[in-house]
Amino acid sequence: MDAWLCVMFSVTLLIRLALLCFGVYQDQNLRWVHCGKLLFLGSDLLSALLLFRLLVLHCSARSLASVHCSMWLFNPLTMAVSTCGNAESLLAVLIYPVTYALPVALSLVGAPSRGRGLIQNLVWCFSRDLFLEQCSSASPFTACEYGWDFLQESSLFHLTHRDIHHNFSPYFSMLYVTAEHHWSVVLVLVCFLLQLLLLLLSSLAFCCSIHTAVFVRFNKVCTSQMPFSRSYFLWYLCLLTLVLSRLTLSLRRGLGLLLWFVGQELWLSHAYYLEFEGCNSFALIWIAGLLFLLINSLILGQIISHYRPAEAQLKKTD
Amino acid sequence: MFRCCLLVTLLCFIHRGNSEEDCFPSEWLKSVSMSVKISKAGFHRDLHYRVQWSKTEQEVHALLVQKLPSGVYMDEYQLDTLRRDTGLEVLLDSKVDVEAPEYLSSGFTALVFLSGRREAVVPVHGRYHRPSDSSKRVKVELESPRLLLRSEQCERGVAVDAPCTASNHSICSWTEILELEDHAGVSLELPVGDSSMIISVCGVTVLTTVLCCVYLLRNIWKHGSF
Repeated sequence: MDAWLCVMFSVTLLIRLALLCFGVYQDQNLRWVHCGKLLFLGSDLLSALLLFRLLVLHCSARSLASVHCSMWLFNPLTMAVSTCGNAESLLAVLIYPVTYALPVALSLVGAPSRGRGLIQNLVWCFSRDLFLEQCSSASPFTACEYGWDFLQESSLFHLTHRDIHHNFSPYFSMLYVTAEHHWSVVLVLVCFLLQLLLLLLSSLAFCCSIHTAVFVRFNKVCTSQMPFSRSYFLWYLCLLTLVLSRLTLSLRRGLGLLLWFVGQELWLSHAYYLEFEGCNSFALIWIAGLLFLLINSLILGQIISHYRPAEAQLKKTD
Repeated sequence: MFRCCLLVTLLCFIHRGNSEEDCFPSEWLKSVSMSVKISKAGFHRDLHYRVQWSKTEQEVHALLVQKLPSGVYMDEYQLDTLRRDTGLEVLLDSKVDVEAPEYLSSGFTALVFLSGRREAVVPVHGRYHRPSDSSKRVKVELESPRLLLRSEQCERGVAVDAPCTASNHSICSWTEILELEDHAGVSLELPVGDSSMIISVCGVTVLTTVLCCVYLLRNIWKHGSF
């Protein structure tokens, strides 16, 4: 397939169009050189505005909503990613038709019910009503318009994409050592099924943030390099801000979130020695990657168990 | 347009003669020397090229033809940025997949233009190699580049045809310097994974992810609102 078409049909389709409109690739006209970065900074502000409006809509006090939005806007990671020329915050504002289709559909058609039991709920997720709802969404029309190439480059890419370079994904080492074995396809399928299993249950507003966190954490690839690859962390960082106001974590438990930085720094130190010093730290990166997964799962588990929906909070104050 | 430029580049080097003497004085040619060094460590290295010659009234342009094996690659986007920021002029003869491992890649050729300058620092990156159960590192050898010279004042003597500049709009006649001081190319060592750990890596990874999955599912089922 033509390389230009591959780029066009990637998830950054709209971003590329915007950049072309600004003429950022016109070297002659230096005035337009930084327009792409201005666009990404603008999307940071737009994300913050959307977060603020959503938080206020879900009964957060304006002052508290401002604090939570500041955690997104003044986050060094957010600022560094956008000014380096990555469009992750723009992606956070857009809706992924595939990853968020399921929680949106479940909310519209009717969420799983505890009375049905776990296995029956999983089966229900592939029900006729849900299938019909998906058929009426935008995805099939877009796919028909642009064909298989669009589906492949925009959505299926994440299903099949494998990057054997060291990254935060817990599957990195496994995919690197098994890259040339035919049965590695089975392992890729296992990774995807585990990811899919976790994505199937939850309510909408809470789900998008946990959904994205689970998607990123259990993905086969998870990078945070800039500016030559995606910064996966930003995908859920933005949405996690939405649920912070509804967490009932105590300060002691909240401090446990610092574990995330400890896990990340541990991985980064070994990755640095591999990439820039040439030390053979593949085994240490593997262990650090698994440890990072355990820490992330523990934090996610704590967030899930201490989240209170708006209705529960209102009832409590009545 | 881009494919045509690549094709033109590939069609170069069609004629090799022994006509060094036609354009440059043979005495002057003996003063030409070249050195190649590699710096930094790990997967990201810099190739330092330096070409020297004695004073001449002619305006001399130098072109280094560096063949690179499948174990390394150059990033065309990085080279593009460097061309805008520092004036480094490097042309690659084919598209390079920056993510592919060594065993799925092929070698390529880089043309390093030294117009108006006599040295250049070109970034080169190591590819991931096949895991090994016998060795923790792998050595990648880079052969010594070919040196071509061209003068604006001299149109005689066709030795080698190659692009005039990195923009690859036209072809010029270059003179290859064959009698350089003999020096070996450079090499770099890259770490490789341990293939003897396949079973333990797969087993422990799957087990850990399944445990995390079960933990999260349990929490979602227990505390989720249904």
